[in-house]
Amino acid sequence: MPGVSSPAALVGALAMIAIAVLLGLATVAALAPRSRANPRGLPPALSALACAGMVVLGALVLLTGEVVSARAGSVLGLAPVDLRIDRLSAFFLVVLGVAGAASSTYAIGYRAHGSSDRDRTEAAFPLFLASLALVFGAHDAFAFLLAWEVMALTSAALVVGSRPSPSVARAGYFYLAMTHLATAALVVAFAILASSSGTTDFASFGPAAASLPPVGRDVVFVLLLVAFGTKAGAIPLHVWLPRAHPVAPSHVSALMSGVMIKAGIYGIVRFGLEILGPGPEWWGLLVLVIGVASAVLGVLYALMEHDLKRLLAFHSIENIGIILIGVGVAILAAGHGAVALAVVALTAALFHTLNHALFKSVLFLSAGSVQAAAGTRDLNLLGGLARVMPVTALAFTIGAAAISGLPPLNGFASEWLTFQGLLGAGAATALSPVTRSAALLAVGGLGLTAALAVACFVKATGVGFLALPRSPGAAAARETSRWMGASMVALAAACIGVGLAAGPIAAGIATIAGGVVGTAPVGAAVAVTIVGPGMGGAVYGPAGIGAVLLAVAAASWFVGIRRRPARRAPTWTCGLVPEPAFEYTATSYAKLIRLYFGQVLRPVREVTVELHPGTPFPRTVRYHGEARHLIDERVYQPLHRAAVGAAQVTRRLQNGSLQVYLAYTVTAVVILLVLAR
Amino acid sequence: MADPTPIEALVLGLVQVLLVLLVAPLLLGITKRVKSRLQYRRGPSLFQPYRDLAKWWRKEAVESDAASPLTALAPPMVLAAVVVATLLVPLVARRAPLAGWGDLLVVVGLMALGRFVLALSALDAGSAFGGMGSSREVAIAALVEPALLLALTGAALAAGSTDLGAIATAGAAAGTAWFTPALLLGAGAFAIVAVAESGHEPIDNPDTHLELTMIHEGMILEASGPRLAMLTYAAELKLVLVVALFAAAFLPTGMAADLSPASLLVAVVAALAKLVAAAVILGLLDATLAKLRILALPALLATASIVALIGLATRLWLPA
Repeated sequence: MPGVSSPAALVGALAMIAIAVLLGLATVAALAPRSRANPRGLPPALSALACAGMVVLGALVLLTGEVVSARAGSVLGLAPVDLRIDRLSAFFLVVLGVAGAASSTYAIGYRAHGSSDRDRTEAAFPLFLASLALVFGAHDAFAFLLAWEVMALTSAALVVGSRPSPSVARAGYFYLAMTHLATAALVVAFAILASSSGTTDFASFGPAAASLPPVGRDVVFVLLLVAFGTKAGAIPLHVWLPRAHPVAPSHVSALMSGVMIKAGIYGIVRFGLEILGPGPEWWGLLVLVIGVASAVLGVLYALMEHDLKRLLAFHSIENIGIILIGVGVAILAAGHGAVALAVVALTAALFHTLNHALFKSVLFLSAGSVQAAAGTRDLNLLGGLARVMPVTALAFTIGAAAISGLPPLNGFASEWLTFQGLLGAGAATALSPVTRSAALLAVGGLGLTAALAVACFVKATGVGFLALPRSPGAAAARETSRWMGASMVALAAACIGVGLAAGPIAAGIATIAGGVVGTAPVGAAVAVTIVGPGMGGAVYGPAGIGAVLLAVAAASWFVGIRRRPARRAPTWTCGLVPEPAFEYTATSYAKLIRLYFGQVLRPVREVTVELHPGTPFPRTVRYHGEARHLIDERVYQPLHRAAVGAAQVTRRLQNGSLQVYLAYTVTAVVILLVLAR
Repeated sequence: MADPTPIEALVLGLVQVLLVLLVAPLLLGITKRVKSRLQYRRGPSLFQPYRDLAKWWRKEAVESDAASPLTALAPPMVLAAVVVATLLVPLVARRAPLAGWGDLLVVVGLMALGRFVLALSALDAGSAFGGMGSSREVAIAALVEPALLLALTGAALAAGSTDLGAIATAGAAAGTAWFTPALLLGAGAFAIVAVAESGHEPIDNPDTHLELTMIHEGMILEASGPRLAMLTYAAELKLVLVVALFAAAFLPTGMAADLSPASLLVAVVAALAKLVAAAVILGLLDATLAKLRILALPALLATASIVALIGLATRLWLPA
């Protein structure tokens, strides 16, 4: 550790050491045999403490504004690992700490599907947390890539587990392949910058980028966008996400969706916006278009799912899209020197990053509880859980309302800011009419996304938790461990609290955004209301709105409901006995939307009717329906076939004969000599 | 224009709150009267909706034995969302009663909140009718909400703010210059989605109890007693909300800027005239249009979005 210069730096250094020690202990404890001194809950408990340390470290930097840095000697004798926690890093560290603490606490009481006490893959969890923290804190290309790879490998290990089924192994393989494509793009981008600057220090990358020719900057930007867009799960690079996230244990899904994909957002903001600096208009426009496409397609595909965790995974794509809309507008505005607008849009993006970490964690964690209690995550087999699992149902409902962007919860506040950013871009005369039209089209796209998210979460909550259970497993479900309940309740409360305190929080985030865009924030927020300078001072006061909502609802509940208890009677089903078969399923609930958006979703419908022999009366009717994923079919499958074909061809080169290999070597040497002559 | 003093603002706010809350059921009565007259019927009294609410309020509530606590919590929450949204929209005065707490995006968000709770509670009893109404409501809303936002965007861009008070003030100050092609196209788009939002023909039939055609009625089919009264009143209030939103963005004529008796009188009359006109138009639509097939709705509602987009395009691309 370097010389400690101030109290903040001292506390920061201590926090870093504590985080490292706690995560190290957690890893060792997970690898060591279980015993009375090393119970099953010890490793996640240590991880939760380490995450609390990350929150302390991040809050320290955010509150004091002091940058905490450290240099951890030369690891493996390769290069020194430089850490530098500025406001942006600290913000992501806090997001990681909050979501990580909740997931780790949850893991104390959670037994992943099919996991045994001898499952050693749990040891990857603390390493995964450490690598995420390093990604956000690294200040050197080498350290960043090292952390990036560890993050990919540990998360893949957690997805696959120790004894994977073939489908899970396939999902893990797919994930690894995609994430390495991303790493390859990232290595090339960093290599271009490092060869221009002569060092791998991120501090030198800014001037190096400025000295590149415009084409070089464009190439670096596109490479960064491919690398970080893949990690973020942005369409069309999203295909790994709906495969990998659902099969992971739920606390890992929460962390992957809540935080890991945000490493992609961090990368785009840090490198695309801060280090590459103002770029041509098409950079921002490209990010904006990717954002809108991810948001709309993500939520549409989510609506077609009845696997609860796959549905949530597609919503991660949707929310990454919403975040990217903010980032895109910020890049556009920064490119034209419209600093106030850039600050609003980037504040929206970062705020939504925090909010998504909160509500997506609570949703994935409650989905995990549902799966543990009911033995399935197929919505069409669930139902009725609200009465037997009230805590999980309440947490899920609050998370669902928050992700649907409903006031006064947290999701609405950041979507409100995103809308202000888009309208500000639409009104900005400095931008070209094409870009302004795109921004206004995106207003419609974001509105469509929000309305479809409401539809999807009414479906997920209503079919999963309300009415009568559709399977014996759902009927026998009971509330699971208290650790799991506590972490879900804490996250749900945070969704409400952050929503009501959106004004001050947005003001704080605006300071971070101002630092990235390279200026102090311009009147971006006041104490209790969020003010959007993009559009001449519109306001949203979440605490006031929440208070009036509560007052009106409580008053009418008191006079109309509480004092007038209802008689309970069976649901009227036209004279039949009510049974779960009368209820709308997840599939039937989304049917109208499937038909309305058939051009995009290309629904496939197969109905097989078997008749009683010799009569026109059906004996069985089988229905199968699904939406086709055009990007998978039209882009990835041909690419996959081509890659396999190319591999088959090159395989002929490798025939196992030593003489032939020697001949290759000689030929290569001769060619090199001729070229070098 | 000087800002009104706090006392003036309070009085103006109270006038609007009372007007809005009291007049909402009457609008339904007017719509029904117009519809029955066009069908050569005498029709119920204009005040029948008030009597219905009073009757339901006195009746016992019955709830499904499959229901969770949400069934009891939903009606107050739906009502609260619509009430707060209505208080954010200027109608009588250019300052809404809750001005400064939310803009048009908050109003749209609160409408979504009401829809979320209502559509969710419709699934609580496990009845197929509830699922039918609920799934239709959210699917149609997915087509309505983009059009609604794009239509209002035109007015927001013209005023340079999403604050509805600022939009109404800018519109009133601009006079006839307010009605640019962009704004008129936005108003047209809004008119289409207003019919959808308020649940009238050709999108929904407020009088039907035929299961195949229900949307809003399907969602509240399991509600009874005071809960039915709350949900019906919330639906009646939503019409006021939609008309007030239209008036604030596209027709801010006659709104009071101060508290002089003359301008207050003009403002109340103007607000009432706008509301009654909307009720009459909806009655005409109900009587003369058949309900569209549910699969034909995207064509109509996408038209609204496209009209709004053309309006925005004229603003961006035509020389001012």
